[in-house]
Amino acid sequence: MTVLARLATVVRTRALPAAISIVLIGATLWPLVRQPVDDDFPLSTYPMFAFERPTRMTMSYAVGITRTGRRYLRPEIVGTPEVLQARAIIERGIGGTARERMALCSQIATTLREVSEFDDVVAIAIVTGTHDALDFLIRGQIGTEIERVRCEVKR
Amino acid sequence: MKRAIAWLGDWWFSPAPAERLAALRIAIGTFAVVWVVGRTSELSGLARLPRAHFAPVGVVKLLDGPLPRELVILIAIATAVLLLAFTLGVAYRVTAPLAAAALLWTLSYRNSWGMPFHTENLLVLHVIALACAPAADVWALARRKGSPPATGYGWAIRLLVALTAATYLLAGIAKLRIAGLGWIDGELLRNQIAIDNLRKALLGDAVAPLATPFLDHPSALTVFCGLTLVLELGSVVTLLGGRVARMWAAGAWAFHLGVVLLMNIWFPYPLFGFAFLPVLHAERPFSWLFGWWRDRRQRPRALGNAPPV
Repeated sequence: MTVLARLATVVRTRALPAAISIVLIGATLWPLVRQPVDDDFPLSTYPMFAFERPTRMTMSYAVGITRTGRRYLRPEIVGTPEVLQARAIIERGIGGTARERMALCSQIATTLREVSEFDDVVAIAIVTGTHDALDFLIRGQIGTEIERVRCEVKR
Repeated sequence: MKRAIAWLGDWWFSPAPAERLAALRIAIGTFAVVWVVGRTSELSGLARLPRAHFAPVGVVKLLDGPLPRELVILIAIATAVLLLAFTLGVAYRVTAPLAAAALLWTLSYRNSWGMPFHTENLLVLHVIALACAPAADVWALARRKGSPPATGYGWAIRLLVALTAATYLLAGIAKLRIAGLGWIDGELLRNQIAIDNLRKALLGDAVAPLATPFLDHPSALTVFCGLTLVLELGSVVTLLGGRVARMWAAGAWAFHLGVVLLMNIWFPYPLFGFAFLPVLHAERPFSWLFGWWRDRRQRPRALGNAPPV
């Protein structure tokens, strides 16, 4: 076999695996040409943990009102086991009309009714709270809260 | 230049045992099956959410709105079945690309509800790469008879390693692009840890066990940040293989453990070691297991043939 023929064989046999390798690695690295905030799936820029964030945070969340106080609700009761998705669901619901807010509250109350662990909860309140994360976690200081909507848990 | 390309080609296509690639198919495929089955009820729950919560990513951008719940569950079940065939190596040339496409769709759909996770990206990339490779030439049910491919199996394993390295490299570069070298001082990470754990507390999830002590004494976070950047930007060393690659994998695994302890964020694919299997001799436990199983099956037959005492 001549050198040229051997080269042709190598190119022919290696062309497809080489192309697959180049395309997959290239696609994975392609987010480098996008803005880091322009995230996607599965070709991500992986921007997690990279952003500057103040420790003071305002966010909306659902709390269960009991006869003696209140309890924080698990994300599953909002509609997903993932905390970030639960937050997105509440933020979007709370940003809608009064009717949409009540619909979200009722949906949470209906789901909660089926969870025996929360038998003591008589109402759901969706609140928007502003807390300093360091004060809250290290010193146990709760910030300010505004109630946005409240609905009864019908049993 | 020609010499460099020839060297690169020879290195990329240097041989590796077919069993190693098959072991990766079995291990990663098994993880994917379990993962998808475990997500089915969540996918069903997501399908009940209002249309306004739907924010499609990746291939799911083809949709104008969410799919009916029944169809979402049906696709998830089909994905699990295809992934099982992929894992077992049944009609691999047909089932593997279908399994990869189905996994891409199902997990893209899961990530299309307000917040993309970063826990499943590498799994999808690995399954796609395996689906393009001759990963079912051994240790497969109903495998295709034929001679081994002229290009061998090493390139596919090297591709899996390169994909792992690329994802960590991107994470490191993102930190530098967004925050610059100042990311190392630890303050930015401290705030991230604080905010993330506050969010968890308010949304009823568990606060990470080491969060509060580290927030109270943040100087230790500088070390964690420095090591994180070294690991992420240094991920390309895995392509060297051998001990260096295994040491990097151990470091990356420890990093994920640190993320659990500080933020209670779980990346199961690397935490259970699957992301790093391509840098290990993945075939060894399977060889032992299959050998043990063969011996176990042959033993009663041997006893049956023994002359009566």
